[in-house]
Amino acid sequence: MRQHVIELILFSTYAELRAERARNYLGIIWWVLEPAMMMGAFWLVFDVILKTGGPDNLAFLLTGLTMWQWMKSCITHGGYAIWSNLNLIRQARLPLIVFPLVQMLADTVKFFFIFLLLVVILWLLGHPPNKAWAALPVIFVAIFLFAAGGGFILAAIVPFVPDVRFVIEQVLTVVMFLSGVVFALTNMPEHVHAVMQWNPVAGLVDATRGVVMYGRWPDWTALAKVAGVSALVLALGVAMIVRLTPRYPKLAA
Amino acid sequence: MSGETLIELEHVGVAFSATRSVGGGHYWALEDVSLRLKRGERLGVIGRNGAGKSTLLRVLAGILEPDRGRVRRGPVSCQLLSLALGFMPYLTGRDNAVLSGLMLGLRQREIVRRLPAIREFSELGDFFDEPIQSYSSGMVMRLAFSVAIQVEPDVMLIDEVLAVGDAEFQEKSGTALRERMRQGHTVVLVSHSEKEVTALCDRLLWIEHGRSVMEGDRDSVYEAYHQQLHLGEAAT
Repeated sequence: MRQHVIELILFSTYAELRAERARNYLGIIWWVLEPAMMMGAFWLVFDVILKTGGPDNLAFLLTGLTMWQWMKSCITHGGYAIWSNLNLIRQARLPLIVFPLVQMLADTVKFFFIFLLLVVILWLLGHPPNKAWAALPVIFVAIFLFAAGGGFILAAIVPFVPDVRFVIEQVLTVVMFLSGVVFALTNMPEHVHAVMQWNPVAGLVDATRGVVMYGRWPDWTALAKVAGVSALVLALGVAMIVRLTPRYPKLAA
Repeated sequence: MSGETLIELEHVGVAFSATRSVGGGHYWALEDVSLRLKRGERLGVIGRNGAGKSTLLRVLAGILEPDRGRVRRGPVSCQLLSLALGFMPYLTGRDNAVLSGLMLGLRQREIVRRLPAIREFSELGDFFDEPIQSYSSGMVMRLAFSVAIQVEPDVMLIDEVLAVGDAEFQEKSGTALRERMRQGHTVVLVSHSEKEVTALCDRLLWIEHGRSVMEGDRDSVYEAYHQQLHLGEAAT
């Protein structure tokens, strides 16, 4: 049973990526081209036109956006996965966590391609790989746990209240700007800054920047805290989905 | 082991949400259905459109849990023979066969082993390795049926899939499915074709408006069913 589910998850992830590749004329190139274009747009606005940052601004911006895009796509794609597969869920008895998980894994595979591009760009910008890169796998695990936690919780809720989709996009945009993804959070009032210390996205993005730009080892305690809380949220999301499983096939079409 | 009860339903009711909006009510697709399915039995479910036949099959498949009543199930695999389950348009016939097979409960190595048979049965030839978006709808159904027929659960649940594709493939798929049913599998069949039901089932369950009206041997249930239909016609 368990092996069968693992096979289903892996093959579905492969199918998802494969279908996406076949869907567009340029296929797999879009995996990298689309985020590259978005990075270009942000670079144009914030670096060239508004001149918001210092000398390292481009590396700062690209690293932030790469990590944020991965989190965001896992949260939204995973979050909508059960809702968008309700037709299938009405016809087959499958463990429902498969649907969000497949989306998150597919997004993670795509992230690795984008991250490779980022590595090349960072190198060209004068940030070659360093010893602290050994910490990246741990940071990535923490990020995945965090994004998957959000994704599973949303996946459980969205089928009942599909309207929250409209809110999610806006909330995520706000979170992006408040997490130092695009510009550093140094100009904020003191009391806002204090609250921001608790923002996990900011912590995770900063940890990644510290490693790839400055060769700085992450704050292990902070990372462990984020990973631990994320794991709890993830467990809650999975439990909600399992608990609500009998109700999804009975929702109105 | 013949005669052992595999699944038993006692006064089962299933309610669906009527609408998506806030405070939307429920409607009962099944109100009160009881049945007992024994190993090796081939049970036909009859009743008019909207009687709850497909809902009943999904309860038997374990997709829907009852909102009232009780389902008792032995340690058996039940599978609804859903056609084109999980098919993705941009994937090849081969990849879709594996994906659909996995969703129908097969292990990957079993499906891979049966791919040549699926390709052969579907008569797709080289199209088997082309994306199914380039297929005609008949070709998609041929592939879908060829995959579904590979599944061998303890209890086969069939909802009007006896005829797919063109006349020739209908003949072929119908024969394959009948063959499978005759191999002594336990089967629950929903069909509007009285000819099929008569040919394939030994027992019948008649449901109307989500309630079981009668369960028994084929001939006596059909006799009562027809009597009631005629009464209904005479009344209008």
